Amino acid sequence: MRTPLYDRHVALNAKIVDFHGWDMPLYYSGIINEHMAVRENFGYFDVSHMGDVIVEGKDSGRFLDHLLPTQVSRLEAGKAAYTAFLDESGNIIDDTIVYRLSADKFFFVPNASTTGEIVKWASSHSDGLDVTLRNVSSEIACIALQGPGATIAAQKIGIREPEPFTFYSQESGDRNSITGNREIIVSGTGYTGEKGMELIVPASEAEKYWIKLEGLTRELGGQPCGLGSRDTLRMEKGMLLSGTDFDHNRTPFEASVGFIVNEEHEFIGKESLLKSKSSRNEIFRGFKVDGKAIPRSGFPLMAGGKRIGTVTSGSISPVLKIPIALGFLDKSYSKEGTAVKVRIRSEEYPATVSKPRIIR
Amino acid sequence: MSKVPDNLLYSKTHEWFVLEGNLVKVGITDYAQHQLTDVVYVEYPKVGSAVKAGGVLLTIESVKSAEDVFSPVDGTVSSVNNDLDSAPEKLNSDPYGNWLVKLKPASGSPTKGLSAVEYRKHIGE
Repeated sequence: MRTPLYDRHVALNAKIVDFHGWDMPLYYSGIINEHMAVRENFGYFDVSHMGDVIVEGKDSGRFLDHLLPTQVSRLEAGKAAYTAFLDESGNIIDDTIVYRLSADKFFFVPNASTTGEIVKWASSHSDGLDVTLRNVSSEIACIALQGPGATIAAQKIGIREPEPFTFYSQESGDRNSITGNREIIVSGTGYTGEKGMELIVPASEAEKYWIKLEGLTRELGGQPCGLGSRDTLRMEKGMLLSGTDFDHNRTPFEASVGFIVNEEHEFIGKESLLKSKSSRNEIFRGFKVDGKAIPRSGFPLMAGGKRIGTVTSGSISPVLKIPIALGFLDKSYSKEGTAVKVRIRSEEYPATVSKPRIIR
Repeated sequence: MSKVPDNLLYSKTHEWFVLEGNLVKVGITDYAQHQLTDVVYVEYPKVGSAVKAGGVLLTIESVKSAEDVFSPVDGTVSSVNNDLDSAPEKLNSDPYGNWLVKLKPASGSPTKGLSAVEYRKHIGE
């Protein structure tokens, strides 16, 4: 599959890779260069492969409250929340952002690889409710504009930066399937840990906005960014990657996102989730690693010759210029500053435990 | 389009090599560096260690992955390019100007490989 921006990626000489069936740019100029552009100035990403699902009807709030550990019926219109779909065991199926459009209408953005599964899962819990689900992923494109320079870049193309986790609509040329009007949605969200926004636009208008951003690169120096830097940026900030850091096997408490759980309402997986609080002994953390070898997914975390956990993501931190990792380890080693080791091929390298957010 | 200089030999696993005096100089191709993404570390073998043609010679760590580099000949490691320790990104910017190791081929070990034309065909360019 290809996003509406595929031709731009080719024109910009991107290295294209297959990402869960999507031909996506891995990098244009280089992963580290693009990473630093986002930390120091701004970068823009094609994230049109992600899903867009509308939930509409009188029971929408009730329906989503049942599906999610977060009580999204309490969101005001124009606000968004990070949350996750849990299975009956309390394990995360996929993480997502839910947006409230009006009293009876929401939409959410699942990951590209899980959109089909989530739509099926959600539909299977809608019996007897006044609620309609519509997967409009193919009609919508999304461009993430991220970095300390994103505010000025957005201004230059006539877009005001929203507050974090709020969104607004702005008139544009074509009909947006999510709102039903000729407009784009500007959302104060992202996956880089920087200021910035995501432009949720009709597929037919994606190129227009992207080309405006390419123009800003010449004027202000920001960069088009691929999935490579998207991954290293989220890693430095300890943000989970669906299917990599968790894959139907971790609860929100284990994954260090317990803040999404609101225990005052009923939701799928609640009972198992609360029970497992004491039995699940691992927790998600970040690691700063000595030496130059890079920890990768699946590598063992060790202490005193004993295995205490597993790396789920690893790379070099372009900001710190050291190897970093994210992973799950025995809670008794989870305190910030604890010395552990990570086994990379045949050698063990010293590592220091940090909060998942490795850089501030 | 990857750069493939005419004066070198190539392997299907994307190494370039060339006989210089009695040593074989080995590096990675432009195609390989493009696939790897930004190189951040080269894990060298010990000087003096024995290698087999087609066996693992060293490991290159990039932002995205760790990839093995294979030896084009039987022999021993004569020297490694420590210039790359402080600037591994030079493998991305100039893969043919920055060799990785020099090998002393075992006596009788042939220095055979793909020509530039054959390698271009192999990578489909």
